[in-house]
Amino acid sequence: MRLPTILIAAAAATVALSAVPASATGVITCKAGPQSSWKGEKALTDKLTKEGWTVRKAKVDGGCYEVYGTTPEGDRVEAYFHPVTLEKLYVGRRGEVLFRKKGY
Amino acid sequence: MLRIVLNKKPAFWALLCLPGLLMMRPFWSGDAIAMDMLHPTGEWSARFMIFAMILSPSLSLLGPKPWLAWLIQRRRALGVAAFGYAVLHLIFYIIDMGNMEDMLAEFLALGIWTGWAAMLLFVPLALTSNDASMRYLKAGWKKLQQLVYPSAVLVLVHWIFIHNNLGPALVHFIPLVLLVAARYFLPLKTRFKGV
Repeated sequence: MRLPTILIAAAAATVALSAVPASATGVITCKAGPQSSWKGEKALTDKLTKEGWTVRKAKVDGGCYEVYGTTPEGDRVEAYFHPVTLEKLYVGRRGEVLFRKKGY
Repeated sequence: MLRIVLNKKPAFWALLCLPGLLMMRPFWSGDAIAMDMLHPTGEWSARFMIFAMILSPSLSLLGPKPWLAWLIQRRRALGVAAFGYAVLHLIFYIIDMGNMEDMLAEFLALGIWTGWAAMLLFVPLALTSNDASMRYLKAGWKKLQQLVYPSAVLVLVHWIFIHNNLGPALVHFIPLVLLVAARYFLPLKTRFKGV
């Protein structure tokens, strides 16, 4: 392999990998239908706050609501909720699954 | 005139600070929280590390070029910048986690301890990135600085496992791996060692 070959290979690899969407982190996926049927993000964070959570950040990931925050028990976690039912699907910290609903 | 100013070392330092200043803006204005700062600080740290690491394989492959010589003269600054952004990265991590207990709870996760280990290896590299240390350590200086290779591996593993995603990490590391590999496996027209 000569230098130009290597550079072309590197460029091709870079372009190919850049095209990979970086959005979903792939922990949990919800197939919850169109966003118009979802409950609002605020509904979820309000509900969690009432339950004793501290929400640092909430966003959509893999078609679910993904929340970064602290549980009522005081664990710093990343959690997933169903966007229509707001049901808790997954709670974990880095490297450790604390809760995972069956089927998810 | 412009050339003289740009060739001054402080001008290069200013350039290295620029991404930091830009990424801090949303944080100061309150649009970004500490958690949001983890990605840009970590990414720029890795970028500067990789940039510093590709210079000597590039020299081996391309032979002497004025722009390469210019960059190699500033390689230590690139390394120190990588360390600086890594320190920022760690500070934001500590702010984000908020307490020791939560940091310890996730310490053993593959994506976490590799980050700590890379940071630990960065410390002696940064502390010895000056003329006095080079004079004092003599041939040992190069040996010590080769710690950047294990720390690069740690950074790569840290990045992949914290992100749950191969793409962005590989975009940065594939060129480095190819260049380093080329240096060892290809018959080169001009082989410059010792830089």
